[in-house]
Amino acid sequence: MIVNRITAEAPVGGRISFARLDGTETFSLAELHARAGRLAASLAELGIGPGDRIGILAANSPQWVLLDLAALWLGAQTAGFEPGKFDPDQQLITRYGLRLLFTDRPSEAAEALPLTEVDRLVEKADSAPEPVSWAAWQVTTVKFTSGSTGEPKGLGATAGSIDSSLRAVQDMFHHRPGDDLFVFLPLSLLQQRYWVYSALRHGHDVTISTYEAAFATMRRARPTVVMGVPAYYETARRQLESRAARSGKPAAELARQLFGDRIRYLWTGSAPAAPAMLRFFTEAGLPIYEGYGLNETCIVAKNHPGASREGSVGRVVVGKEVLLDADGVISVRSDHPVNDHYEYAAPGDSEKVFRPGGLVRTGDLGLVDEDGYLYILGRADDVIVLENGKKVVVRPIEEQLRAGGAITEAVLFCPQQTDLVAVVCAAAQPPDERAIAAALNAANAALGKDERISRAIVATEPFTVENGLLTSQFKPRRPQIRAAYATELANPQEGIHAH
Amino acid sequence: MHTETETAARENLVLVLTSPVEPEEIDPDADLAGRYGLTSLNKVLFLTSLCDETGTELSRFTEHDLARMTTLREVVEAVAPTGIRAV
Repeated sequence: MIVNRITAEAPVGGRISFARLDGTETFSLAELHARAGRLAASLAELGIGPGDRIGILAANSPQWVLLDLAALWLGAQTAGFEPGKFDPDQQLITRYGLRLLFTDRPSEAAEALPLTEVDRLVEKADSAPEPVSWAAWQVTTVKFTSGSTGEPKGLGATAGSIDSSLRAVQDMFHHRPGDDLFVFLPLSLLQQRYWVYSALRHGHDVTISTYEAAFATMRRARPTVVMGVPAYYETARRQLESRAARSGKPAAELARQLFGDRIRYLWTGSAPAAPAMLRFFTEAGLPIYEGYGLNETCIVAKNHPGASREGSVGRVVVGKEVLLDADGVISVRSDHPVNDHYEYAAPGDSEKVFRPGGLVRTGDLGLVDEDGYLYILGRADDVIVLENGKKVVVRPIEEQLRAGGAITEAVLFCPQQTDLVAVVCAAAQPPDERAIAAALNAANAALGKDERISRAIVATEPFTVENGLLTSQFKPRRPQIRAAYATELANPQEGIHAH
Repeated sequence: MHTETETAARENLVLVLTSPVEPEEIDPDADLAGRYGLTSLNKVLFLTSLCDETGTELSRFTEHDLARMTTLREVVEAVAPTGIRAV
Protein backbone atom coordinates (compact mmCIF):
# COMPACT_ATOMS: atom_id res chain seq x y z
CA MET A 1 0.00 0.00 0.00
CA ILE A 2 1.08 3.55 -0.72
CA VAL A 3 0.91 4.59 2.95
CA ASN A 4 3.45 1.87 3.71
CA ARG A 5 5.72 2.57 0.76
CA ILE A 6 6.03 6.29 1.52
CA THR A 7 7.60 5.60 4.89
CA ALA A 8 9.53 2.46 3.90
CA GLU A 9 11.13 3.91 0.75
CA ALA A 10 13.08 7.16 0.63
CA PRO A 11 11.94 9.28 -2.31
CA VAL A 12 14.49 9.89 -5.03
CA GLY A 13 13.14 13.16 -6.39
CA GLY A 14 10.66 15.94 -5.85
CA ARG A 15 10.43 18.88 -3.49
CA ILE A 16 8.01 20.21 -0.94
CA SER A 17 7.53 23.95 -0.48
CA PHE A 18 5.69 25.92 2.17
CA ALA A 19 4.52 29.23 0.74
CA ARG A 20 3.60 32.09 3.04
CA LEU A 21 2.99 35.67 2.07
CA ASP A 22 6.48 36.73 3.08
CA GLY A 23 8.43 33.86 1.64
CA THR A 24 8.74 30.22 0.65
CA GLU A 25 10.63 27.43 2.37
CA THR A 26 11.60 24.52 0.15
CA PHE A 27 13.29 21.23 0.83
CA SER A 28 13.63 17.96 -0.99
CA LEU A 29 11.17 15.14 -0.38
CA ALA A 30 14.17 13.03 0.60
CA GLU A 31 14.88 15.55 3.36
CA LEU A 32 11.21 15.54 4.38
CA HIS A 33 11.32 11.76 4.59
CA ALA A 34 14.51 11.79 6.67
CA ARG A 35 13.12 14.39 9.08
CA ALA A 36 9.86 12.45 9.45
CA GLY A 37 11.85 9.36 10.36
CA ARG A 38 13.84 11.22 13.01
CA LEU A 39 10.66 12.74 14.41
CA ALA A 40 9.20 9.23 14.60
CA ALA A 41 12.21 8.15 16.65
CA SER A 42 11.72 11.01 19.10
CA LEU A 43 7.98 10.43 19.35
CA ALA A 44 8.66 6.75 20.06
CA GLU A 45 10.92 7.87 22.89
CA LEU A 46 7.99 9.83 24.27
CA GLY A 47 6.05 6.57 24.29
CA ILE A 48 4.05 6.98 21.08
CA GLY A 49 3.47 3.71 19.27
CA PRO A 50 0.94 1.66 17.32
CA GLY A 51 -2.64 2.40 18.31
CA ASP A 52 -1.85 5.69 20.04
CA ARG A 53 -3.42 8.86 18.76
CA ILE A 54 -1.81 12.27 18.45
CA GLY A 55 -3.77 15.44 17.78
CA ILE A 56 -2.64 18.29 15.55
CA LEU A 57 -4.40 21.62 15.88
CA ALA A 58 -2.44 24.09 13.78
CA ALA A 59 -2.29 26.06 10.56
CA ASN A 60 -0.58 24.41 7.59
CA SER A 61 3.16 24.16 8.19
CA PRO A 62 6.15 21.85 7.73
CA GLN A 63 5.62 20.60 11.28
CA TRP A 64 2.07 19.51 10.42
CA VAL A 65 3.30 17.39 7.54
CA LEU A 66 6.15 15.93 9.58
CA LEU A 67 3.83 14.91 12.42
CA ASP A 68 1.45 13.24 10.00
CA LEU A 69 4.24 11.25 8.36
CA ALA A 70 5.89 10.38 11.68
CA ALA A 71 2.57 9.02 12.95
CA LEU A 72 2.24 6.88 9.81
CA TRP A 73 5.79 5.69 10.44
CA LEU A 74 4.93 4.58 13.98
CA GLY A 75 1.50 3.09 13.32
CA ALA A 76 -0.06 5.85 15.40
CA GLN A 77 -3.29 7.57 14.45
CA THR A 78 -3.58 11.30 13.83
CA ALA A 79 -6.55 13.51 14.53
CA GLY A 80 -6.38 16.78 12.59
CA PHE A 81 -8.30 19.66 14.15
CA GLU A 82 -8.96 22.82 12.20
CA PRO A 83 -7.94 25.89 14.21
CA GLY A 84 -10.93 28.04 15.02
CA LYS A 85 -13.29 25.08 15.00
CA PHE A 86 -11.67 23.32 17.94
CA ASP A 87 -9.91 24.62 21.04
CA PRO A 88 -6.64 23.02 22.20
CA ASP A 89 -7.89 22.33 25.69
CA GLN A 90 -8.08 19.40 28.08
CA GLN A 91 -11.61 18.62 26.96
CA LEU A 92 -10.44 18.01 23.40
CA ILE A 93 -7.61 15.77 24.58
CA THR A 94 -9.94 13.74 26.76
CA ARG A 95 -12.80 13.51 24.28
CA TYR A 96 -10.62 12.26 21.44
CA GLY A 97 -8.27 10.12 23.54
CA LEU A 98 -5.11 12.00 22.52
CA ARG A 99 -1.75 10.92 23.92
CA LEU A 100 -0.29 14.24 22.76
CA LEU A 101 -1.68 17.35 21.15
CA PHE A 102 0.60 19.53 19.03
CA THR A 103 -0.71 23.04 18.53
CA ASP A 104 0.40 26.47 17.34
CA ARG A 105 -2.14 28.06 19.71
CA PRO A 106 -1.68 28.78 23.42
CA SER A 107 -2.79 25.83 25.53
CA GLU A 108 -2.78 25.06 29.23
CA ALA A 109 -3.50 21.37 28.76
CA ALA A 110 -0.96 18.95 30.23
CA GLU A 111 -0.61 16.80 27.10
CA ALA A 112 -0.35 19.79 24.74
CA LEU A 113 3.00 20.60 23.15
CA PRO A 114 3.80 23.68 21.10
CA LEU A 115 4.24 22.96 17.41
CA THR A 116 7.75 24.39 17.58
CA GLU A 117 8.67 21.40 19.72
CA VAL A 118 8.56 19.34 16.52
CA ASP A 119 11.77 20.99 15.27
CA ARG A 120 13.56 20.12 18.51
CA LEU A 121 12.29 16.52 18.35
CA VAL A 122 13.57 16.19 14.76
CA GLU A 123 17.01 17.45 15.78
CA LYS A 124 17.11 15.28 18.88
CA ALA A 125 17.18 11.97 16.99
CA ASP A 126 19.90 10.84 14.61
CA SER A 127 18.22 7.83 13.06
CA ALA A 128 14.78 6.51 12.19
CA PRO A 129 13.05 3.40 13.50
CA GLU A 130 11.78 0.64 11.22
CA PRO A 131 8.47 1.88 9.77
CA VAL A 132 5.31 0.06 10.84
CA SER A 133 3.32 -1.64 8.09
CA TRP A 134 -0.38 -0.78 8.07
CA ALA A 135 -3.05 -3.32 7.24
CA ALA A 136 -5.83 -2.19 4.90
CA TRP A 137 -8.48 -2.29 7.63
CA GLN A 138 -6.52 -0.21 10.14
CA VAL A 139 -7.48 3.38 10.84
CA THR A 140 -4.63 5.82 10.22
CA THR A 141 -6.47 9.04 11.05
CA VAL A 142 -9.66 10.50 12.41
CA LYS A 143 -11.28 13.07 10.17
CA PHE A 144 -14.14 15.34 11.03
CA THR A 145 -17.20 16.04 8.97
CA SER A 146 -18.48 19.59 8.98
CA GLY A 147 -22.07 18.53 9.51
CA SER A 148 -24.78 21.09 8.87
CA THR A 149 -25.76 21.03 12.53
CA GLY A 150 -24.20 20.38 15.91
CA GLU A 151 -20.81 19.01 16.79
CA PRO A 152 -18.58 17.66 14.00
CA LYS A 153 -18.73 13.91 13.54
CA GLY A 154 -15.45 12.02 13.84
CA LEU A 155 -14.71 9.27 11.35
CA GLY A 156 -11.72 6.94 11.25
CA ALA A 157 -10.24 6.48 7.77
CA THR A 158 -8.76 3.10 6.92
CA ALA A 159 -5.40 2.69 5.24
CA GLY A 160 -7.09 0.69 2.48
CA SER A 161 -9.48 3.52 1.62
CA ILE A 162 -6.62 6.01 1.39
CA ASP A 163 -4.65 3.67 -0.83
CA SER A 164 -7.61 3.00 -3.08
CA SER A 165 -8.36 6.71 -3.53
CA LEU A 166 -4.74 7.61 -4.24
CA ARG A 167 -4.56 4.91 -6.90
CA ALA A 168 -7.81 6.02 -8.50
CA VAL A 169 -6.61 9.63 -8.67
CA GLN A 170 -3.26 8.61 -10.13
CA ASP A 171 -4.99 6.51 -12.80
CA MET A 172 -6.89 9.59 -13.94
CA PHE A 173 -4.37 12.42 -13.59
CA HIS A 174 -0.93 10.78 -13.88
CA HIS A 175 0.84 13.16 -11.49
CA ARG A 176 4.54 12.92 -12.27
CA PRO A 177 7.93 14.58 -11.87
CA GLY A 178 7.59 18.12 -13.19
CA ASP A 179 4.15 18.53 -11.65
CA ASP A 180 3.71 20.80 -8.64
CA LEU A 181 0.41 20.37 -6.78
CA PHE A 182 -0.69 23.52 -4.97
CA VAL A 183 -2.50 22.80 -1.68
CA PHE A 184 -3.96 25.56 0.46
CA LEU A 185 -6.94 24.05 2.27
CA PRO A 186 -6.31 22.94 5.86
CA LEU A 187 -4.18 19.83 6.27
CA SER A 188 -6.71 18.71 8.87
CA LEU A 189 -8.72 17.66 5.81
CA LEU A 190 -7.28 14.24 5.01
CA GLN A 191 -7.59 14.73 1.25
CA GLN A 192 -5.17 17.65 1.37
CA ARG A 193 -2.54 15.33 2.86
CA TYR A 194 -3.12 12.92 -0.04
CA TRP A 195 -1.11 15.27 -2.22
CA VAL A 196 1.90 14.97 0.07
CA TYR A 197 1.57 11.18 0.00
CA SER A 198 1.24 11.34 -3.78
CA ALA A 199 4.39 13.47 -4.05
CA LEU A 200 6.37 11.01 -1.92
CA ARG A 201 5.15 8.09 -4.00
CA HIS A 202 5.27 9.58 -7.49
CA GLY A 203 8.14 12.06 -7.21
CA HIS A 204 6.33 15.26 -8.12
CA ASP A 205 6.55 18.54 -6.22
CA VAL A 206 3.93 19.82 -3.82
CA THR A 207 3.46 23.33 -2.46
CA ILE A 208 1.56 23.92 0.76
CA SER A 209 0.08 27.35 1.44
CA THR A 210 -2.88 28.67 3.39
CA TYR A 211 -6.38 29.65 2.33
CA GLU A 212 -5.76 33.30 3.19
CA ALA A 213 -2.44 33.57 1.34
CA ALA A 214 -3.21 31.33 -1.63
CA PHE A 215 -4.01 33.99 -4.21
CA ALA A 216 -0.73 35.74 -3.46
CA THR A 217 1.49 32.67 -3.26
CA MET A 218 0.01 30.67 -6.14
CA ARG A 219 1.63 32.45 -9.05
CA ARG A 220 4.95 32.58 -7.20
CA ALA A 221 4.76 28.79 -6.84
CA ARG A 222 3.83 28.36 -10.53
CA PRO A 223 1.95 25.11 -9.84
CA THR A 224 0.76 22.73 -12.52
CA VAL A 225 -2.30 21.71 -10.48
CA VAL A 226 -4.40 23.69 -7.98
CA MET A 227 -6.40 21.73 -5.41
CA GLY A 228 -9.31 24.09 -4.79
CA VAL A 229 -12.95 24.45 -3.94
CA PRO A 230 -15.73 26.27 -5.82
CA ALA A 231 -15.69 29.33 -3.54
CA TYR A 232 -12.04 29.90 -4.35
CA TYR A 233 -12.48 29.67 -8.11
CA GLU A 234 -15.67 31.71 -7.99
CA THR A 235 -13.82 34.53 -6.22
CA ALA A 236 -11.08 34.39 -8.83
CA ARG A 237 -13.54 34.35 -11.72
CA ARG A 238 -15.39 37.43 -10.48
CA GLN A 239 -12.21 39.43 -10.11
CA LEU A 240 -10.76 38.25 -13.42
CA GLU A 241 -13.93 39.16 -15.30
CA SER A 242 -14.02 42.60 -13.68
CA ARG A 243 -10.35 43.19 -14.42
CA ALA A 244 -10.77 42.05 -18.01
CA ALA A 245 -13.67 44.48 -18.46
CA ARG A 246 -11.66 47.31 -16.93
CA SER A 247 -8.34 46.69 -18.66
CA GLY A 248 -9.52 45.34 -22.00
CA LYS A 249 -7.08 42.46 -21.59
CA PRO A 250 -8.31 38.92 -22.34
CA ALA A 251 -9.50 37.07 -19.23
CA ALA A 252 -7.31 34.13 -20.26
CA GLU A 253 -4.18 36.28 -20.02
CA LEU A 254 -5.19 37.62 -16.60
CA ALA A 255 -6.02 34.10 -15.42
CA ARG A 256 -2.52 32.93 -16.36
CA GLN A 257 -1.07 35.84 -14.39
CA LEU A 258 -3.05 34.85 -11.31
CA PHE A 259 -2.64 31.09 -11.47
CA GLY A 260 0.83 31.05 -12.99
CA ASP A 261 1.85 29.97 -16.46
CA ARG A 262 2.25 26.23 -15.91
CA ILE A 263 -1.30 25.10 -15.03
CA ARG A 264 -2.13 21.64 -16.36
CA TYR A 265 -5.51 21.51 -14.66
CA LEU A 266 -7.56 22.83 -11.73
CA TRP A 267 -9.19 20.42 -9.28
CA THR A 268 -12.49 21.33 -7.63
CA GLY A 269 -14.53 19.36 -5.14
CA SER A 270 -16.28 19.46 -1.74
CA ALA A 271 -19.24 21.52 -2.95
CA PRO A 272 -21.19 21.88 -6.20
CA ALA A 273 -19.54 24.16 -8.73
CA ALA A 274 -21.53 26.65 -10.79
CA PRO A 275 -21.55 25.71 -14.50
CA ALA A 276 -20.61 29.30 -15.45
CA MET A 277 -17.50 29.16 -13.30
CA LEU A 278 -16.39 25.82 -14.78
CA ARG A 279 -16.95 27.14 -18.30
CA PHE A 280 -15.03 30.35 -17.58
CA PHE A 281 -11.85 28.54 -16.59
CA THR A 282 -12.06 25.96 -19.32
CA GLU A 283 -12.48 28.70 -21.91
CA ALA A 284 -9.58 30.61 -20.32
CA GLY A 285 -7.37 27.62 -21.08
CA LEU A 286 -7.31 26.31 -17.51
CA PRO A 287 -9.28 23.06 -17.63
CA ILE A 288 -11.13 22.45 -14.38
CA TYR A 289 -12.43 19.11 -13.22
CA GLU A 290 -15.30 18.66 -10.82
CA GLY A 291 -15.77 15.50 -8.82
CA TYR A 292 -17.92 14.00 -6.14
CA GLY A 293 -17.31 12.32 -2.81
CA LEU A 294 -18.13 12.57 0.86
CA ASN A 295 -15.94 12.17 3.90
CA GLU A 296 -17.70 8.84 4.40
CA THR A 297 -16.90 7.55 0.90
CA CYS A 298 -13.80 9.47 -0.15
CA ILE A 299 -13.61 10.14 -3.91
CA VAL A 300 -16.49 8.53 -5.82
CA ALA A 301 -16.48 10.15 -9.24
CA LYS A 302 -14.28 12.64 -11.03
CA ASN A 303 -14.08 14.32 -14.39
CA HIS A 304 -10.57 14.17 -15.76
CA PRO A 305 -8.65 14.71 -18.99
CA GLY A 306 -10.17 12.54 -21.68
CA ALA A 307 -13.33 11.75 -19.68
CA SER A 308 -15.12 14.95 -18.78
CA ARG A 309 -18.72 15.91 -19.38
CA GLU A 310 -20.24 19.29 -18.57
CA GLY A 311 -22.81 19.21 -15.75
CA SER A 312 -21.60 15.84 -14.49
CA VAL A 313 -19.16 14.98 -11.71
CA GLY A 314 -17.46 12.46 -13.95
CA ARG A 315 -17.44 8.70 -14.16
CA VAL A 316 -17.37 6.55 -11.06
CA VAL A 317 -13.75 5.76 -10.14
CA VAL A 318 -12.16 2.33 -9.95
CA GLY A 319 -12.97 0.62 -6.65
CA LYS A 320 -16.33 2.37 -6.20
CA GLU A 321 -19.84 1.52 -7.27
CA VAL A 322 -22.83 3.86 -7.31
CA LEU A 323 -26.27 2.43 -6.62
CA LEU A 324 -29.45 4.46 -7.02
CA ASP A 325 -32.60 3.58 -5.13
CA ALA A 326 -36.13 4.05 -6.46
CA ASP A 327 -36.10 7.73 -5.43
CA GLY A 328 -32.71 8.31 -7.06
CA VAL A 329 -30.81 8.51 -3.76
CA ILE A 330 -27.16 7.57 -4.21
CA SER A 331 -25.53 4.84 -2.17
CA VAL A 332 -21.85 4.05 -2.64
CA ARG A 333 -20.17 0.69 -2.32
CA SER A 334 -16.38 0.67 -1.95
CA ASP A 335 -13.84 -2.11 -2.40
CA HIS A 336 -12.04 -0.52 0.55
CA PRO A 337 -14.59 1.40 2.65
CA VAL A 338 -13.47 4.42 4.64
CA ASN A 339 -15.21 2.81 7.61
CA ASP A 340 -18.50 1.23 8.63
CA HIS A 341 -19.35 3.63 11.46
CA TYR A 342 -18.54 7.02 12.94
CA GLU A 343 -16.08 7.03 15.80
CA TYR A 344 -17.71 10.11 17.32
CA ALA A 345 -21.34 10.93 16.58
CA ALA A 346 -24.77 11.12 18.13
CA PRO A 347 -26.55 7.79 18.67
CA GLY A 348 -28.18 6.65 15.45
CA ASP A 349 -26.03 8.77 13.15
CA SER A 350 -23.89 5.84 12.01
CA GLU A 351 -26.92 3.69 11.20
CA LYS A 352 -28.41 6.45 9.02
CA VAL A 353 -25.34 6.56 6.78
CA PHE A 354 -23.50 3.24 7.01
CA ARG A 355 -25.60 0.36 5.75
CA PRO A 356 -25.01 -3.39 5.66
CA GLY A 357 -22.79 -4.65 2.85
CA GLY A 358 -20.35 -1.75 3.09
CA LEU A 359 -22.85 0.69 1.61
CA VAL A 360 -22.87 4.39 2.41
CA ARG A 361 -26.15 6.19 1.92
CA THR A 362 -25.12 9.63 0.75
CA GLY A 363 -28.45 11.43 0.90
CA ASP A 364 -27.68 12.94 -2.50
CA LEU A 365 -29.93 12.54 -5.49
CA GLY A 366 -28.26 11.50 -8.70
CA LEU A 367 -28.49 9.88 -12.05
CA VAL A 368 -26.00 8.10 -14.26
CA ASP A 369 -26.13 8.63 -18.02
CA GLU A 370 -25.67 5.93 -20.63
CA ASP A 371 -21.91 6.59 -20.78
CA GLY A 372 -21.48 6.22 -17.03
CA TYR A 373 -21.26 9.91 -16.06
CA LEU A 374 -22.76 10.73 -12.68
CA TYR A 375 -24.93 13.81 -12.21
CA ILE A 376 -25.78 15.19 -8.77
CA LEU A 377 -29.28 16.64 -8.66
CA GLY A 378 -29.42 17.79 -5.05
CA ARG A 379 -29.91 16.49 -1.56
CA ALA A 380 -32.68 14.02 -0.85
CA ASP A 381 -33.41 16.22 2.17
CA ASP A 382 -33.75 19.14 -0.22
CA VAL A 383 -36.72 17.60 -1.93
CA ILE A 384 -39.83 19.47 -0.93
CA VAL A 385 -43.00 17.42 -1.00
CA LEU A 386 -45.87 19.78 -1.73
CA GLU A 387 -49.32 19.25 -0.28
CA ASN A 388 -50.48 18.01 -3.67
CA GLY A 389 -47.89 15.21 -3.43
CA LYS A 390 -45.61 16.66 -6.09
CA LYS A 391 -41.91 16.36 -5.24
CA VAL A 392 -39.80 19.39 -6.02
CA VAL A 393 -36.00 19.13 -6.19
CA VAL A 394 -34.87 22.53 -5.02
CA ARG A 395 -31.31 22.81 -6.33
CA PRO A 396 -32.06 23.32 -10.06
CA ILE A 397 -34.64 25.94 -9.08
CA GLU A 398 -32.16 27.73 -6.88
CA GLU A 399 -29.60 27.63 -9.69
CA GLN A 400 -32.21 29.15 -12.00
CA LEU A 401 -32.70 32.03 -9.57
CA ARG A 402 -28.97 32.70 -9.41
CA ALA A 403 -28.47 32.46 -13.16
CA GLY A 404 -29.16 36.13 -13.98
CA GLY A 405 -26.60 37.57 -11.58
CA ALA A 406 -28.96 39.70 -9.47
CA ILE A 407 -29.12 36.96 -6.82
CA THR A 408 -25.94 35.44 -5.41
CA GLU A 409 -27.53 32.81 -3.19
CA ALA A 410 -31.02 31.31 -3.06
CA VAL A 411 -32.58 28.76 -0.73
CA LEU A 412 -36.07 27.49 -1.33
CA PHE A 413 -38.69 26.65 1.29
CA CYS A 414 -42.33 25.70 1.28
CA PRO A 415 -43.83 27.42 4.33
CA GLN A 416 -47.35 26.34 3.46
CA GLN A 417 -49.27 24.08 1.04
CA THR A 418 -47.77 24.45 -2.43
CA ASP A 419 -46.31 27.91 -1.89
CA LEU A 420 -42.59 28.01 -2.74
CA VAL A 421 -40.68 30.90 -1.21
CA ALA A 422 -37.00 31.68 -1.70
CA VAL A 423 -34.70 33.42 0.74
CA VAL A 424 -32.17 35.18 -1.47
CA CYS A 425 -28.99 37.20 -1.11
CA ALA A 426 -28.90 40.21 -3.39
CA ALA A 427 -25.86 40.89 -5.56
CA ALA A 428 -26.29 44.64 -5.06
CA GLN A 429 -26.36 46.65 -1.84
CA PRO A 430 -28.84 48.10 -1.26
CA PRO A 431 -30.77 45.28 -2.94
CA ASP A 432 -32.05 46.05 -6.43
CA GLU A 433 -35.65 44.93 -5.98
CA ARG A 434 -36.49 45.30 -9.67
CA ALA A 435 -33.58 43.09 -10.66
CA ILE A 436 -34.61 40.48 -8.09
CA ALA A 437 -38.22 40.58 -9.30
CA ALA A 438 -36.94 40.15 -12.85
CA ALA A 439 -34.83 37.16 -11.77
CA LEU A 440 -37.86 35.67 -10.03
CA ASN A 441 -40.03 36.06 -13.09
CA ALA A 442 -37.32 34.74 -15.42
CA ALA A 443 -36.91 31.66 -13.23
CA ASN A 444 -40.64 31.08 -13.11
CA ALA A 445 -40.87 31.33 -16.88
CA ALA A 446 -38.34 28.52 -17.17
CA LEU A 447 -39.83 26.31 -14.47
CA GLY A 448 -42.75 23.91 -14.36
CA LYS A 449 -46.09 24.90 -12.90
CA ASP A 450 -45.49 23.11 -9.60
CA GLU A 451 -42.07 24.70 -9.32
CA ARG A 452 -43.30 28.28 -9.45
CA ILE A 453 -41.74 30.50 -6.81
CA SER A 454 -44.32 32.85 -5.33
CA ARG A 455 -41.99 35.33 -3.64
CA ALA A 456 -38.43 36.07 -2.65
CA ILE A 457 -37.36 37.27 0.77
CA VAL A 458 -34.19 39.30 0.57
CA ALA A 459 -31.71 38.33 3.28
CA THR A 460 -30.62 41.20 5.48
CA GLU A 461 -26.99 40.05 5.25
CA PRO A 462 -25.13 37.61 3.00
CA PHE A 463 -25.01 33.97 4.09
CA THR A 464 -21.53 33.43 5.53
CA VAL A 465 -19.66 30.86 7.55
CA GLU A 466 -19.25 33.49 10.26
CA ASN A 467 -22.98 34.14 10.71
CA GLY A 468 -23.66 30.41 10.72
CA LEU A 469 -25.71 30.36 7.52
CA LEU A 470 -23.07 28.53 5.45
CA THR A 471 -21.17 25.38 6.34
CA SER A 472 -17.38 25.59 6.30
CA GLN A 473 -17.64 24.11 2.81
CA PHE A 474 -19.84 27.02 1.77
CA LYS A 475 -23.09 25.11 1.53
CA PRO A 476 -26.23 26.87 2.79
CA ARG A 477 -27.39 25.65 6.19
CA ARG A 478 -31.07 25.32 5.42
CA PRO A 479 -32.44 24.80 8.94
CA GLN A 480 -30.56 27.87 10.18
CA ILE A 481 -31.68 30.00 7.24
CA ARG A 482 -35.26 28.86 7.75
CA ALA A 483 -35.03 29.79 11.44
CA ALA A 484 -33.45 33.18 10.72
CA TYR A 485 -36.25 34.15 8.33
CA ALA A 486 -39.12 32.24 9.94
CA THR A 487 -41.27 35.37 10.40
CA GLU A 488 -40.88 36.52 6.82
CA LEU A 489 -41.43 33.01 5.45
CA ALA A 490 -44.68 32.68 7.38
CA ASN A 491 -46.10 36.03 6.31
CA PRO A 492 -47.44 35.91 2.73
CA GLN A 493 -47.21 39.71 2.50
CA GLU A 494 -43.45 39.71 3.00
CA GLY A 495 -40.88 39.80 0.22
CA ILE A 496 -40.79 40.52 -3.48
CA HIS A 497 -43.71 38.85 -5.21
CA ALA A 498 -43.67 37.18 -8.59
CA HIS A 499 -45.94 38.49 -11.30
CA MET B 1 -3.19 59.50 1.72
CA HIS B 2 -0.88 58.89 -1.24
CA THR B 3 -3.12 59.90 -4.13
CA GLU B 4 -1.97 57.48 -6.83
CA THR B 5 -2.01 54.52 -4.46
CA GLU B 6 -5.42 55.56 -3.16
CA THR B 7 -6.86 55.73 -6.67
CA ALA B 8 -5.41 52.32 -7.51
CA ALA B 9 -6.68 50.92 -4.21
CA ARG B 10 -10.21 52.17 -4.81
CA GLU B 11 -10.27 50.79 -8.34
CA ASN B 12 -8.87 47.41 -7.39
CA LEU B 13 -11.04 47.07 -4.32
CA VAL B 14 -14.34 47.40 -6.20
CA LEU B 15 -13.23 44.64 -8.57
CA VAL B 16 -13.41 42.05 -5.80
CA LEU B 17 -16.57 43.23 -4.04
CA THR B 18 -19.70 41.21 -4.67
CA SER B 19 -21.95 44.25 -4.54
CA PRO B 20 -21.52 47.02 -7.10
CA VAL B 21 -19.85 50.04 -5.46
CA GLU B 22 -18.22 52.93 -7.29
CA PRO B 23 -14.53 53.48 -6.45
CA GLU B 24 -15.14 57.01 -5.21
CA GLU B 25 -17.91 55.84 -2.88
CA ILE B 26 -15.59 53.79 -0.67
CA ASP B 27 -15.33 55.37 2.77
CA PRO B 28 -11.60 55.32 3.59
CA ASP B 29 -12.22 54.69 7.27
CA ALA B 30 -14.98 52.09 7.00
CA ASP B 31 -14.27 48.52 8.02
CA LEU B 32 -13.88 46.74 4.69
CA ALA B 33 -15.21 43.43 5.95
CA GLY B 34 -18.16 44.82 7.89
CA ARG B 35 -19.29 47.53 5.46
CA TYR B 36 -18.34 46.07 2.10
CA GLY B 37 -18.31 42.33 2.83
CA LEU B 38 -14.61 41.93 1.96
CA THR B 39 -13.66 38.33 2.78
CA SER B 40 -10.10 37.28 3.63
CA LEU B 41 -9.87 35.54 0.26
CA ASN B 42 -10.95 38.69 -1.60
CA LYS B 43 -8.64 40.81 0.50
CA VAL B 44 -5.56 38.93 -0.69
CA LEU B 45 -6.78 39.07 -4.26
CA PHE B 46 -7.32 42.83 -3.92
CA LEU B 47 -3.88 43.37 -2.39
CA THR B 48 -2.20 41.17 -5.00
CA SER B 49 -3.54 43.26 -7.86
CA LEU B 50 -2.95 46.53 -6.00
CA CYS B 51 0.68 45.63 -5.30
CA ASP B 52 1.12 44.63 -8.94
CA GLU B 53 -0.22 47.95 -10.10
CA THR B 54 1.79 50.04 -7.68
CA GLY B 55 4.99 48.02 -8.05
CA THR B 56 5.00 47.01 -4.40
CA GLU B 57 6.22 43.60 -3.24
CA LEU B 58 3.39 41.82 -1.44
CA SER B 59 6.05 39.66 0.18
CA ARG B 60 6.87 42.68 2.36
CA PHE B 61 3.84 41.75 4.38
CA THR B 62 3.05 38.86 6.66
CA GLU B 63 -0.38 37.28 7.18
CA HIS B 64 -0.45 39.23 10.44
CA ASP B 65 0.15 42.55 8.62
CA LEU B 66 -2.74 41.78 6.29
CA ALA B 67 -5.07 41.03 9.17
CA ARG B 68 -4.32 44.48 10.58
CA MET B 69 -5.32 46.27 7.36
CA THR B 70 -9.02 46.71 7.95
CA THR B 71 -9.78 49.99 6.16
CA LEU B 72 -8.90 51.50 2.80
CA ARG B 73 -6.76 54.10 4.53
CA GLU B 74 -4.74 51.43 6.33
CA VAL B 75 -4.22 49.55 3.07
CA VAL B 76 -3.06 52.67 1.23
CA GLU B 77 -0.71 53.66 4.02
CA ALA B 78 0.82 50.20 4.10
CA VAL B 79 1.19 49.88 0.33
CA ALA B 80 2.16 53.46 -0.60
CA PRO B 81 5.83 54.00 -1.39
CA THR B 82 7.74 54.75 1.84
CA GLY B 83 8.40 58.44 2.34
CA ILE B 84 5.55 59.63 0.16
CA ARG B 85 2.83 58.72 2.63
CA ALA B 86 0.69 61.64 3.62
CA VAL B 87 -1.69 61.79 6.55
